[in-house]
Amino acid sequence: MKRGILYYTRIYFKIIAQDIKSKMSYRADFIISMIGMIATNLAGAISFWIIFQNFPTVQGWNFYEMIFLYGFSLISATPAQCMFDNNWDLRYKVFSGDFIKYCVRPINIFFYYMSEIFDVKGLGQFAFGIASVVFAWIKLELSVSVLSILLFILAAVSASLFVIAILNVAACTCFWIMNSFFALSLSNTLRDYAKYPITIFNPILRFLFTFIIPIGFMSFYPSQIFLRPESVPLISWFTPVFGIIFFYISYKIWMKGALAYNGTGS
Amino acid sequence: MKLKRCLSLVRASILDSLQFRGALILTFVGNLFYLLLIYYLWKAIFASSESDIINGMTFSDTMIYLVFASALFNFMEMWIVWGTGRNIQSGQIIIDLLKPIEFRSFVFFSGCGEPIIKFVTTFLPTAIIVYFISGRAIPLGKNLIFFTISVALGMLINFYINFFVATICMYTQSIWGINIMKEVIVGLLSGASVPLAFFPETLREIVMYLPFQAICNSPLQILLHNEYPVSEVLVILGIQLFWVIFLMIFTDLFFRVSVRKITVNGG
Repeated sequence: MKRGILYYTRIYFKIIAQDIKSKMSYRADFIISMIGMIATNLAGAISFWIIFQNFPTVQGWNFYEMIFLYGFSLISATPAQCMFDNNWDLRYKVFSGDFIKYCVRPINIFFYYMSEIFDVKGLGQFAFGIASVVFAWIKLELSVSVLSILLFILAAVSASLFVIAILNVAACTCFWIMNSFFALSLSNTLRDYAKYPITIFNPILRFLFTFIIPIGFMSFYPSQIFLRPESVPLISWFTPVFGIIFFYISYKIWMKGALAYNGTGS
Repeated sequence: MKLKRCLSLVRASILDSLQFRGALILTFVGNLFYLLLIYYLWKAIFASSESDIINGMTFSDTMIYLVFASALFNFMEMWIVWGTGRNIQSGQIIIDLLKPIEFRSFVFFSGCGEPIIKFVTTFLPTAIIVYFISGRAIPLGKNLIFFTISVALGMLINFYINFFVATICMYTQSIWGINIMKEVIVGLLSGASVPLAFFPETLREIVMYLPFQAICNSPLQILLHNEYPVSEVLVILGIQLFWVIFLMIFTDLFFRVSVRKITVNGG
């Protein structure tokens, strides 16, 4: 039975409302997590600042351009952080057998599983990302227009699909190997690459980070549209198309694992 | 008698971590990726600079420093904040507090299996590989002995900082936020993400007065500078020892105060 997008939107808000209500009962945890999130992002910016105290540019990229890339990577990581965070718990649910409950509900398993958790602290990261990009945007004296803002939103949304796709694939490895923690933590390490210009790597890694593990699309390629508008690489314009393809592939792999899930027998 | 208790805890925790061989391999792969990243990043940084030596460090010095810093951190990680934090939330801590051994020692000895395994399986191979790749740029001599002592002290400092942070969890019931803040502060101020030599002058001076640099900067200074006179090495070790003693007393007092506040929900 096919159901419309409206039905799923309505049900999504109903489910996350429950989650947010239960989170609100741990107010101290929420505040500390928010501070922790912003502190992490701040530390990343401080490391850049320290490096650029010694070197004016790195391969032709200056401090503000790096801050732009960094901010962009934080923004594109936000949807994965906020809406797909339940991926991190997938391994416990699969291991303990709790996952079977998602398999017997009359809605899409992937949708239901992801909608259960909304991670509010991701919004702290989003705020920091926006602040960094705005700061860099002003310092670099980039032009502001309705078109550029719309383009930025499109670029950020497309880039976020890649982050979600990698998270999905890393998390769903637990359907086959039980413990996916290290795959997830590897995906986090890889995500750290996103804040650096892809051009610093050698051609083999550049190819790898473009077509196999699409880290370049999380920040570098889409950012080129704004940072170097006179020489945008062709591939940057493919960000939305590739984003949808990668997201779809990750969804298919995730579902393949979920549909083959047998439970633990208890 | 006391020693026997501790040793059996260590043995159990070694066996426990040997259960997760797949995890060890993936950690190793993860490190390799991280090393690739810092290699290309710092190569690009040094390529953009006019001189080969920046703040007294060459490219290969920086690489050796960063590789060792990450290898040290990797093997020191005992997941104490997560382990203890979860025990506080689940109420398991009550059982651990009743055990016939001081709680802090219990946490230390039952957690130190993983560092021991990782020292053999990841730290030593990394060190040997780096030694040969770097064209034997690491001086071998008496510094190795001092380095070993310094690493042991650094590990204790790291443990006490972790234990302090785990104790805070008793008040906050929050693990993720507290732990990430710790990771950020330790990572940045210990020089593990950017070597301390690159820090601006004033910031570096402040950092030198904090315990974080004693975790991995001190051992690395000793390892990479065989030319340091013994007196200077002893000063570095002395500072580390000061932090060990200070943190030992401090975490003990703090834990004594905090354990009275502990609330276990529905225990």
